Amino acid sequence: MNAEAAEEALEALTASRLEARRTARRRSGTPPWTIVVLGLSAVYFLVPLYATAVFALSTGKAFSLQPLFDGFGDPGFQASLQLSLTYSIVTTVLALAVVAPTAYVVELRYPQLRSTIEFLSVLPFVVPPIIMAVGLGEVYGINSPIDLIANDQLAPILLYGGYFVLTLPFVFRAIDNALRAVDVRVLTEASSSLGASPIRTFLQVIVPSISLGLVSAALLAFTTAMGEFTLAALLGYPTFPVFLLNENGYEPRIGSALVLVSFLITWAGVIALAAIARRTPGTQIVRGGPM
Amino acid sequence: MSRLELVNIGKRFGDQTAVRDFSLTIDDGELVSFLGPSGCGKTTTLRITAGFEAPDTGAVVVDGRNITDLPANKRGMGMVFQGYALFPNMTARENIEFGLAVRHRPNGERQTKVAELLELFGLAHVGKSYPHQMSGGQQQRVALARAVAVQPGVLLLDEPLSAVDAKVREELRTEIRRMVTQLRITTILVTHDQSEALSISDRVVVMNRGAIEEVGTPGQIYAEPASAFTAGFIGAMNEIAVRVVSGAQGVVERGGKRVTAPGAVGLPEGGPALLLVRPELLEPLGDGAVLNGDLTVKGRVEVQTFLGATTRLLIRELPGSGGAAASTAARPLAVDVPSASAGRWPTGSELAVRIPVGSSRVIADPSARAAAPE
Repeated sequence: MNAEAAEEALEALTASRLEARRTARRRSGTPPWTIVVLGLSAVYFLVPLYATAVFALSTGKAFSLQPLFDGFGDPGFQASLQLSLTYSIVTTVLALAVVAPTAYVVELRYPQLRSTIEFLSVLPFVVPPIIMAVGLGEVYGINSPIDLIANDQLAPILLYGGYFVLTLPFVFRAIDNALRAVDVRVLTEASSSLGASPIRTFLQVIVPSISLGLVSAALLAFTTAMGEFTLAALLGYPTFPVFLLNENGYEPRIGSALVLVSFLITWAGVIALAAIARRTPGTQIVRGGPM
Repeated sequence: MSRLELVNIGKRFGDQTAVRDFSLTIDDGELVSFLGPSGCGKTTTLRITAGFEAPDTGAVVVDGRNITDLPANKRGMGMVFQGYALFPNMTARENIEFGLAVRHRPNGERQTKVAELLELFGLAHVGKSYPHQMSGGQQQRVALARAVAVQPGVLLLDEPLSAVDAKVREELRTEIRRMVTQLRITTILVTHDQSEALSISDRVVVMNRGAIEEVGTPGQIYAEPASAFTAGFIGAMNEIAVRVVSGAQGVVERGGKRVTAPGAVGLPEGGPALLLVRPELLEPLGDGAVLNGDLTVKGRVEVQTFLGATTRLLIRELPGSGGAAASTAARPLAVDVPSASAGRWPTGSELAVRIPVGSSRVIADPSARAAAPE
């Protein structure tokens, strides 16, 4: 559950689109440097994974899944995983529900605002999570003017908000790219000339047309929230990454086994995404002529 | 099935005037084309009618009801877009059904209607295809079927045939005409293709620089264009420079020869004017033909262009044949002759051409008029 995994997911998404180009390339023969780069990348990514697996599951003489079962049995594992999944799902839904309509309206009615929105969306890259954690703690933390953390009902709101902001750069870009690939204005006009209200147009015409963008935005938001550590740790939320770090301190082998689990969850997501991407019909780009 | 009135429509984009003072009434079931070069305001006028742009001035009235402020989705008009604008995530069938679903028609009725339209437009075999799996012609048929499925009072076609190839274009043209007649839908067709406009419209609105240049039946627009712009824009037209001798009696002069031209009545005396003559009305004269009354131009065949049934001769006037005719000197005269007899006038041969002055339109020379304030 990290940025690399998210990047790989995007790669998988575009993979099918690039197939045609790849075929063309194959015909002219794969250049040797491509194989070298691919090989080096594979080593770079696979060696740590392999090392983790060996460390977690091998006693030096025998191979054992016991650390994995120990990890699953830990009450902290289930609670933290459940908490992280909840935060990630809510964040994902929130991000899509806010960003998709916003980006659509901007693209359709206020194209001049696009650069401003884009700038706002990349702010999390400028303000690191550590600064954000301190800032949020000052305003919403314990003994602060608006104490959200002390209140069990309100506490999640703080992290939802934080995660929403952190996922903005990925979510906005994925959705915005998808919107720009279809002719939003003409599709909207076609739909409204058939009598559809703006909301119906958005839900039945625009959303399905940008479904690939929405899926990748969802995956990026989900993995970002799932793997987020700084905000959760500093503001005191016992999420899965926080639990993993603690576990690594007490029981390094169990911790490593759980890291493998988290990798598997991410990959399940990537595979599901690729499957959806392959099955989505009518992803052809439709453009209107000059008006 | 509606009477559409556009009243004094005006629209500016920044300091550009897109449409000015546009007034037109379109009758029930009438097919009217907006014809003009790009940037003449035809698409803007259509978009104002559809409700996609708000006019700065004027009103859109349908069946006596002012709908200028009504949003596009409440106007009940069908629209077909230049680039089809089919919903990429829906099959042909689902595209056509969309408008009916929006109107909450019962499922049985929807299926019947869609099947009927797929049949009508010859699309039965592509009902389950997605837009990217269809040819351009099929996509445009789906777009047409989708627009008429909701039985719109007014159908708006924005250059619907510009993206399909020539053969399909002709088929679709006939289909549109047949459909409009059959369903009696009041229709506006925006096009820059004059043959399209002339072939299927009840009336043609020629537009230039945001304003109506001329409105008339295709026959009127072709045979009796009121302005040099229309004359030049529609079909090929020869412009032959003459001088008005008498505006009262309609007498013009060219190369020292005076002839009666009823079209010149009312033009300022002594002023330069243009005789407008279609290439098919100019007549090559046989050797030794007797010239009575009409003007003739002597020239040499520069180019022969085969057009099918006819062949167009481009004839360069010989010096001294008709006088100091600057405009014919600059542009060769186009003369259409039956292809079967085109061999009589090979490239390089000389001939005389009779200009039927009596039946020709005469207009004041716009290049001379341009200097004077309008």
